[in-house]
Amino acid sequence: MKIWGRIYALAFKEVLQIRRDPRTLVLALVMPVLLLLLFGYGVSFDIDAIPMSVVDQDRTSSSRRLLRRFFASGELRPSGTLSDPDEAYARFRTGQDLGAVVIPAGFQARLRERRPAPIQILVDAADGVTAEQTLGKAESSLKAGAVVRRSRPPVEVRTYTMFNPELRSALFLVPGLAAYVVALVSVLLTALTVAREWELGSMQQLFATPIRRGEIVIGKLLPYLALGLVAVALVIGSGALFFGVPMRGAPGILMLNSFLFVLGMLGQGLLISVLTKNQMVATQAAAMTSLLPSLLLSGFMFPIENMPKILQMITVIIPARYFIDTLRAVLLRGTPASHLWGDTVALAAFALAMIVLSTARFQRRIA
Amino acid sequence: MNTVIEVRDLTRRFGDFVAVDRVSFHVEKGEIFGYLGANGAGKSTTIRMLCGLLAPTEGVAMVAGHDIRDDARKVRAAIGYMSQKFSLYLDLPVRANLEFYAGAYEIESPRKRVQEILELLDLEVHRDQITGALPGGTRQRLGLGCALLHRPEIVFLDEPTAGVDPASRRDFWRLIRSLSREGTTVFVTTHYMDEAEYCQRIGLMVDGRLAALDTPRALKRDLVPGRMFRVSNVDERASRAVLSGMSGVVDVQPFGTRLHVRVRPGGPEAPDLGKQLSQAGLSGAEIEEIEPTLEDVFLAVVDPTKGSAAA
Amino acid sequence: MNATVLLEGLVRRFGKTTAVDGIDLELSHGELFGLVGPDGAGKTTTVRMLAGLIAPDGGRVRVLGEDPLTSASVRDVLGLMPQEYSLYLDLSIRENLQFFGRLYGLGRAEWARRVERLMRITRLEPFMDRRAGALSGGMYKKLALSCALLHEPKVLLLDEPTNGVDPVSRRELWDLIHEFVQGGMTVLVCTPYMDEAERCHRVGLLHRGRLIATGEPAALIRDIEHETYTVHAGAGAELFDEVFAFEDVLAASPAGSELRIVVRGGRASEVQRRLDALGGRLEACEPTFEDLFLVRIKDAEGMAA
Repeated sequence: MKIWGRIYALAFKEVLQIRRDPRTLVLALVMPVLLLLLFGYGVSFDIDAIPMSVVDQDRTSSSRRLLRRFFASGELRPSGTLSDPDEAYARFRTGQDLGAVVIPAGFQARLRERRPAPIQILVDAADGVTAEQTLGKAESSLKAGAVVRRSRPPVEVRTYTMFNPELRSALFLVPGLAAYVVALVSVLLTALTVAREWELGSMQQLFATPIRRGEIVIGKLLPYLALGLVAVALVIGSGALFFGVPMRGAPGILMLNSFLFVLGMLGQGLLISVLTKNQMVATQAAAMTSLLPSLLLSGFMFPIENMPKILQMITVIIPARYFIDTLRAVLLRGTPASHLWGDTVALAAFALAMIVLSTARFQRRIA
Repeated sequence: MNTVIEVRDLTRRFGDFVAVDRVSFHVEKGEIFGYLGANGAGKSTTIRMLCGLLAPTEGVAMVAGHDIRDDARKVRAAIGYMSQKFSLYLDLPVRANLEFYAGAYEIESPRKRVQEILELLDLEVHRDQITGALPGGTRQRLGLGCALLHRPEIVFLDEPTAGVDPASRRDFWRLIRSLSREGTTVFVTTHYMDEAEYCQRIGLMVDGRLAALDTPRALKRDLVPGRMFRVSNVDERASRAVLSGMSGVVDVQPFGTRLHVRVRPGGPEAPDLGKQLSQAGLSGAEIEEIEPTLEDVFLAVVDPTKGSAAA
Repeated sequence: MNATVLLEGLVRRFGKTTAVDGIDLELSHGELFGLVGPDGAGKTTTVRMLAGLIAPDGGRVRVLGEDPLTSASVRDVLGLMPQEYSLYLDLSIRENLQFFGRLYGLGRAEWARRVERLMRITRLEPFMDRRAGALSGGMYKKLALSCALLHEPKVLLLDEPTNGVDPVSRRELWDLIHEFVQGGMTVLVCTPYMDEAERCHRVGLLHRGRLIATGEPAALIRDIEHETYTVHAGAGAELFDEVFAFEDVLAASPAGSELRIVVRGGRASEVQRRLDALGGRLEACEPTFEDLFLVRIKDAEGMAA
């Protein structure tokens, strides 16, 4: 009974302090949504109407049909018809075009003879992201058009296009952003709350009372756990509201894994503040250890399969990886819960490790 | 004599709260001016205004010939300010702190000046010690040193000796007196009434108003009228209760294990007090008439029953 | 009888400096003990070891027979008022009291009863909803003391409770302390105020981590082997520096317009002879606790040098 009384006392005090300092609430609730909107709209990876010049040296009905299909989606835009590929290079250099499509003479003849009929696509690869998108879109236009209709064996299509046929980056971003934003906020909040007690000297007073270390840890975590979960719900909710992100799978497993992820992140923040005892250092450490991994090593920005082996091994201990996996699976793929227990186990292990570690390193000493 | 601080009807409000209420006084060059009052009486607010750190709501103040409202920058260049929480870099050695402030004030030949300050404040032996490891008294001396680097005409000291032990306080005040002798004006607040005795004149703040302003001697004469007896060698709490109720007794205050008993003119004499005590079973009291101290003055002016000390 | 607080050969080092260098001390039930000493003498370190906040490098601490470092039950009966700010400045007086009340498991009625009493004595009642950060120095200290007293500890540790507090509030704080001492609480208080030290049952003089004198204040003063005098002179203040430089003058302090000095035992006539030249006159007076402090510290430093 006394234990719960003390935990309640601490949790209640934290709630009072959160309420009194609107910055905490802004940081926890407004910032995630703001970041989502900012990223969702501003940092869109979609480039519409990529200008491409056309060099049609075949000038047949087949080449015309190909070109029509090629530009049908509107994602690629014909910027002009040229007679010589060399002219296309000139237009790249001046930045007028991002690509060119070249259909050599004899294209229709080769098709009729059922021989491979190559066409050439030139892309300005100075901007890697744009080049990749241009190529991807060109390829998919071709596959959707000429090649598939010719009943060639269907070419392997990338997984993500199946669930995101328009390759809309918002759909792909929301799960990643949710993890990123929640990680940042949760780690930061707890890192600050414990470091503040050290800095203001109240830790000294707290240590002189009967409260135990574990009780301090739990009492501190509870209010922020609630706050973190509300933040997750807000981000997913605004994803649905503003970007039409669906919810195709079971919400139960999503809630469980969200809970474990937030708990782990809070635990990480706690560990940081137990080790640093200083708000400045804690802030930096929190940003470094939550922001960068959840951004770069979680599969959010860069697919894990494409990373070097050593980085792939590191991602195993990045909880955001498992949370993003759960989010994408539940929101976009509709994967059944039974396939996501792996994520649950990994997230639970991380949370447990963080809380045990921080309680162990939490010395009831002031010097 | 020339006036270096001139304050007329200085007022500062924070919302509805009047922290400083129409305060007027002046301070002469080379004077040690004590500014006393209960916690929250408006002392620090006044100092912050005089240092050009806080704009007054109303009134005028000239510090070192500059208007604090219009020429706050010139005021700050002419004064030194040191508070209890003076911001020293605790992880730097003593000399590095002085050199940093010498740079911040853009002092000419900073090396020479830092050396002078080290010698003036007896900090030479601590020169290379880390500031955070210094005892409180020495750290306060370093704070004073930083405030003196740019040779200010006036130094404002806000509770410079709070929590400092008696020996270090004594050393600190010896420094202040020598500064004053060399023509630096010292404006100081303190809660140690024995220190206030060193001041040439004292202003006493009560609830934002300047309730009294005079030399220590005149304050004692005017504000603690009647006579003062010191009662020792009896249980302090019991005898306090006995004497407080006696007719003619104005006030009874504990001073350590002794009591200061203030009586109305024509009130009880020492033998009367002794008789009252022995009737209550408290025998052996030693009673002698004394001069009131500044602490008696403070207690007489800042009457706790009016709630002023807590506001 | 078992000591309520026991320190045995207590040692604590920080890096190369020895903050506490072998303290032995016993406090009995209901005792009010004052710990005085120059800055950096080790007062705060001693208090922190008593509160179980830092581990000693050597020796033993026992509070009611238990080690405060490891025993959780000691903390139920221990109160601490640190020197620094240690309450939540963004919470009100009421909320701070509520928090500590809950930590100590006080029932609602019991809490209300105790808070009512503490707030009445400290006259903080009208400010219950003011944030602790917006309190004046004296009011904050009264709140901190109230928080430390809320669970009615058997042992109370006060580290410079009246630091930066005006004379009126200082008296109120001490009235409160005395009331609890009379109720049987054992109190250890560190203070730079000599008049406060004098009000303690016993006093320990701490210097460089060692207790150089312990005893009843009156007895300690009686034992001074030196003599105290008042110096009368036309302009006392001007004499200060010169008199202080005399070899046989151990301490000098202005008392009003006069000068109080402590003269090495048996050297008064020598001092008088030198004063003649300056037009000063000695008059014997009673030594005070402050004289004791200055003399003992000077002795200790003389021995160390």
